[in-house]
Amino acid sequence: MDNQIYIVIIEDELEVMEALLGDLEFIEPNFPLEAANNAEEAVSVMEQIEADGHKVGLLLCDHVLPGKNGIDLLIELQNHPTLKHSKKVLVTGQAGLEDTVQAINKAHLDYYIAKPWTKEELQEVVTEKLTDYVIENKLNLLQYMSALNATRLAEALRENGLTDT
Amino acid sequence: MKLTKNQWIGLVLGALGFILPFFWEINGLSAAGHMGLSIFFLAAVFWMLEPVPIYATSMLVILLQVLFLSSEGIYLNDVTEAYSPDGYTAFMGTLANPIIILFLGGFVLADAAVKYNLDLNITRILLKPFGNQPKYILLGLMSVTALLSAFMSNTATTAMMMTVIIPIIARMKPTDPLRIGLALSVPFAANIGGIATPIGTPPNAVVIGSLANQGISIPFGNWMALAVPLVLIALLILWLVLLFMYKPEAKTIEIDMTGKFNLSKKALFLYAVFAFTVILWVTESVHGVNSAIIAMIPVVFLTLTGVTSKEDIRKLPWEVLWLVAGGISLGISMKSTGLAEWIVTSIDWGSFGTITMILVFSAVAIAMSNFLSNTVTATLLAPLAISLAVSGVAGEGFNLVIISLVIGVSASFAMVLPISTPPNAIAISTGFIETKHMAKPGILIGIFGLLLVTIYALFYWPLLIGN
Repeated sequence: MDNQIYIVIIEDELEVMEALLGDLEFIEPNFPLEAANNAEEAVSVMEQIEADGHKVGLLLCDHVLPGKNGIDLLIELQNHPTLKHSKKVLVTGQAGLEDTVQAINKAHLDYYIAKPWTKEELQEVVTEKLTDYVIENKLNLLQYMSALNATRLAEALRENGLTDT
Repeated sequence: MKLTKNQWIGLVLGALGFILPFFWEINGLSAAGHMGLSIFFLAAVFWMLEPVPIYATSMLVILLQVLFLSSEGIYLNDVTEAYSPDGYTAFMGTLANPIIILFLGGFVLADAAVKYNLDLNITRILLKPFGNQPKYILLGLMSVTALLSAFMSNTATTAMMMTVIIPIIARMKPTDPLRIGLALSVPFAANIGGIATPIGTPPNAVVIGSLANQGISIPFGNWMALAVPLVLIALLILWLVLLFMYKPEAKTIEIDMTGKFNLSKKALFLYAVFAFTVILWVTESVHGVNSAIIAMIPVVFLTLTGVTSKEDIRKLPWEVLWLVAGGISLGISMKSTGLAEWIVTSIDWGSFGTITMILVFSAVAIAMSNFLSNTVTATLLAPLAISLAVSGVAGEGFNLVIISLVIGVSASFAMVLPISTPPNAIAISTGFIETKHMAKPGILIGIFGLLLVTIYALFYWPLLIGN
């Protein structure tokens, strides 16, 4: 299928990655998941997704990673022509105040999930942020109503001034 | 831009349709009639298969008419015995046709209402008296939806009502059939509610515009007197059908009615303009000021006061106005070239009675608009009906206004499939219902619609219109 919206997860610990993937299984039929172990791999995964004609809607990013850390990656992506529109969520237990301030001010961080997360919180955050993404990027809202927050999508449709044919 | 296979098929068929009449000599059809047929074929194919957006086809129709059928065009521009071409302004001027201006007024009002949450707040207030019993809530939702969609677009009304019903449905037991009933009640009531006023939905505009070209004007209030009784009965039937098919399990339903009216100066001014305009529209036949002129009140005063901003004006659905204008324009030359008359006289109508003709036009309109845009359906059928009535081949008792109403109203009774109307598409997208849930009640409503239209056309409308 063309024009899929991907969720990219950047996490170096195998167990944590599996837990994240497990909790996000519910949304995979509509929003495919891609995993990366470090910042460099994440960039190449995301560029491949875009090269295939798809979009990256959401990044779930750990902070402490081998090589470049998560917040530096998110800040760097703000200069990327297309990836800067992706929603960015930090999933971490180890980011200090200084780092977190940086992430909010320079990387337009959309949400901070502290480890350990609850399944409900994670699922809600992912659903809401993807809803933001499809509304802000003026995608075909009807296509995503059953998978995301339908009330907010209907609200966006209303404000878009729909017409009869 | 890459075209899909279906788009190519549409484009090629449309072009072939345009060329065909140049090589196909039809007895009894003038050269202008052949030209009109070319444009009609092209438009019909493009509107049905949609290789390009339907409003783009409407724009093309106007250009083709100006080029090939107007007195300033490059072809058939001289007055002959068979054809006296209209000036190009006749075609281009459809964009400022009174019905277009009336719609513009409706758009500006609706846009401002959404901006200040008037639609949502009216909904909350009007739903209160319906209590918390499921069947009355269903009735309440349908009534409010229909009322709003009579003045706003059916689609925008549906989107707004979805924000009200999605939280309700989400709280209900997943097995409760009422979930399906609720999810269907909104789009269906919106489709039906659009019939109630001239600005309710574009097919009404096409019909009113076509009649205006015949010198027949239908005042706002008169249209409502003709249409509202039918809408009320149709809603009642819809209510019973939904209750019967999807019996509620829950004993009570809670709706969140909180919400505050915006009481800023601009918002209060909007409420006043909204009420004033609607009152003037409904009483058009009392004071005699044309509803298109009244439509300038919201356009002018909401803009003067900054309630409607430059950005709001840019955001108006201009493509709908082009769509309707193209439809009215096509009707002009179908008549003036003798094309419409040729089409209707090629069928032996004498063998049909009036009832049969009403049934046929209504059934064809309902069937077509289930697959095509409602506006396109009205556009393609209205010139035929008008020619049928004007040419006299249909015999006595075949009233021009009534058959036009039959077409305009029937076009709104299509709600079998998700593609039938944009409100249906929204409802399906929520994931609460599937196509099969929509198809069964949709077919029933279509059949009831056909019967209702026929009964009204035979017994009620003649009382108001006379013969």
